[in-house]
Amino acid sequence: MLGDVINHFAGIAPGSPLARLREQRPETLRHAQGSFQALLEPDDPGGVSREEREAIALRVATLERFPDVADFHRDRLRQLGAQGDRVAAIEQFPDGGDVPARLAAILRHTDLLTTSSRSGSPEAIARLRQAGLSAQDIVTISQLIAYMSYEIRMVALLRAMGGRR
Amino acid sequence: MSPNRRRATQFTIERLDWAPWIETIAEIGLSEDDLAAVYEQAPNAKGSPYFATLALDLPALVERTGLFNNTMRSPGGGSNAERELAATAVSRLNGCVYCASVHAQRFVQYAKRPGVMDHLLDQGVDAPLDDPREQEVVDLAAKLTRDPAGLTADDIRPLRDMGVTDLEIYDIAQSAAMFAWANRLMQTLGDAVYPD
Repeated sequence: MLGDVINHFAGIAPGSPLARLREQRPETLRHAQGSFQALLEPDDPGGVSREEREAIALRVATLERFPDVADFHRDRLRQLGAQGDRVAAIEQFPDGGDVPARLAAILRHTDLLTTSSRSGSPEAIARLRQAGLSAQDIVTISQLIAYMSYEIRMVALLRAMGGRR
Repeated sequence: MSPNRRRATQFTIERLDWAPWIETIAEIGLSEDDLAAVYEQAPNAKGSPYFATLALDLPALVERTGLFNNTMRSPGGGSNAERELAATAVSRLNGCVYCASVHAQRFVQYAKRPGVMDHLLDQGVDAPLDDPREQEVVDLAAKLTRDPAGLTADDIRPLRDMGVTDLEIYDIAQSAAMFAWANRLMQTLGDAVYPD
């Protein structure tokens, strides 16, 4: 079991000073983990598959240079049945080989939003719709892309507070 | 989706609205009962176009609301003013005109110093501030925003050297991290607009 995802990647051991610090804010601890579960391990994935969700997370971790977070999502993507060439195409997008048009649109949006938070536009939404995403799907992928930006910053903060790179 | 309203592109402390580029939960043909059930789980989706849009993924909205509200306010630790300062600095850096306006107003509500926000909104996060502690809060928020992989203990040390506790630092920086999320979400699903 992974346990708390932010503690896991920040290297925070149970009972350590940083674990106790985070426990002083039980509601943010609970809802940060709840957000991970709602977006990456949803009871009902609806219109955005588990594979697409893991692809987004892998892509954000790669762009933000968090290799251990990328390793985690790469493994989960493989466990869901993704082949090596597909995984490589996601990690090296858009230069790593072909991906289906819908996944390409999702990855393009992931890159756009991760590298420049202000790059959303009605045109970007229109491209997602053309690739077959519903309004619900667009909200889900936007939440997930933005959540990943949050998660890796919480990991970065706690590593720095613990004196760990 | 709302009719065309004038887009706000300049940072301001004046009140702005936000208008979505996609349908809200009230516009996808749900029955009255189904819509009422959504509002029961996410009361904020009633009357706010932003939350009404996010309600299209209800479990994600419910978790995010719990996280956001408890990040911005909790007993002790980081002051409300410093959490709002971090939120506004990140929003200024990320280009979120709407978020910056809301959280600049809240900073002034708590700190009673509008000059700090005028300066931050006009000049950006790299313009020096008078108060050394506020400077360090903005510097940490900016570093976490620009280069999370490069953040080290050296970026935390100035605040610790000033006697700021780890709980305060955690609260302030959680707010900065929260706005990596909030700014991206708001700017990909709609636009800041001037009130009617």
